[in-house]
Amino acid sequence: MINVPQLPNHHQTGFTLLEVIVALTITGMVLGGLFTLAAGSKQLAFRSGTSLTRALEARAAINFALLQDEYSDVEEILKPTDFESHSEDRLGAVLRKTEQITYALQEFEVVNERTDEVVTGTRWARLELPE
Amino acid sequence: MEMFASRTQRGFTLIEIMLSLALTALLLSLLSGGMYAVMNDWERDTDVLDDRLDETITILQVERALKGAFPHSYRDDTTLGRAIYFQGDDESLSWVSTVSPQRSGGLMAWHLKSQSGEGVFLTLAPAMSDNPDERLSNAEPIVLLENYEATFSYLYEDLDFSKQWRDDWAGEELNALPLAVHILLTPIDNDNTQIFEVVANIAANTHRSIRATTNGSSGAPVTTRNTPFGEL
Repeated sequence: MINVPQLPNHHQTGFTLLEVIVALTITGMVLGGLFTLAAGSKQLAFRSGTSLTRALEARAAINFALLQDEYSDVEEILKPTDFESHSEDRLGAVLRKTEQITYALQEFEVVNERTDEVVTGTRWARLELPE
Repeated sequence: MEMFASRTQRGFTLIEIMLSLALTALLLSLLSGGMYAVMNDWERDTDVLDDRLDETITILQVERALKGAFPHSYRDDTTLGRAIYFQGDDESLSWVSTVSPQRSGGLMAWHLKSQSGEGVFLTLAPAMSDNPDERLSNAEPIVLLENYEATFSYLYEDLDFSKQWRDDWAGEELNALPLAVHILLTPIDNDNTQIFEVVANIAANTHRSIRATTNGSSGAPVTTRNTPFGEL
């Protein structure tokens, strides 16, 4: 009689619950990381789109501010945006000049209250009388 | 001995294999479905961003071309006087600019036209010494902004220095360039509410020597006028 060795049942080893949990967690973390990356770039794309729009808005506001000065009004044409322009002081008179001029340099600023962005610049202002 | 032993080794049953295969297939299909959705979303976002970038570059280029507007004058055959080429109404505008988007420099005649429901079209032609209207009408228009309609306004400075926007500009009558051009870009489809505005201050107005002549035979578009830099 040949004795056939019987494989005892308790020697069969599959994965334990702990191993499965660890493997699943690692897989989940890797996948989660991938999806977070994708979502992050989506947000980035969205944000860049908005800031492009805002840059164009600011550009229009600055160009419009360059047309204005406090002595001659320009008819308002821009649609209301977050950007507002304010007149600042005129720059001081030049020390030496050979003739009277009717223009002075004036500072202005374009402010976006919502994002606290401030753009300053200078523009020509036409004076009422030559100085 | 060996043969007997191997005969007793149990493999997977058919049921087990089928079950595991089915489960794997299910998981893979779920995963690929998810990836597909994510990739689609990704493509859409980058497309939107690309479009927005293209629009921005287009708008900036148009603004630059308007800023560089040149008081190009040509001989009017009926009156034999010289007329400035800058013709605009509320939905189209033709002007000559020092800005040329092509590799060759030189003055370029630009024509922008807003077709309602179709977009904004651009035609370009070289500006020779004559009226470039005919060359413009022979040139092929290209689509500049597909989803927008444009409304043009022109800034006019009155004698009392008050500045008003008007919706047309006839260069041959006014014999001057406007101080600035405003373009309002409104989207054609209603679900997109983003409007764009362009204000282009025409730089030739502040330059002390670029002035169009309307008399004299030379036709050189240079005279002088009172400018921020003093009377010349």
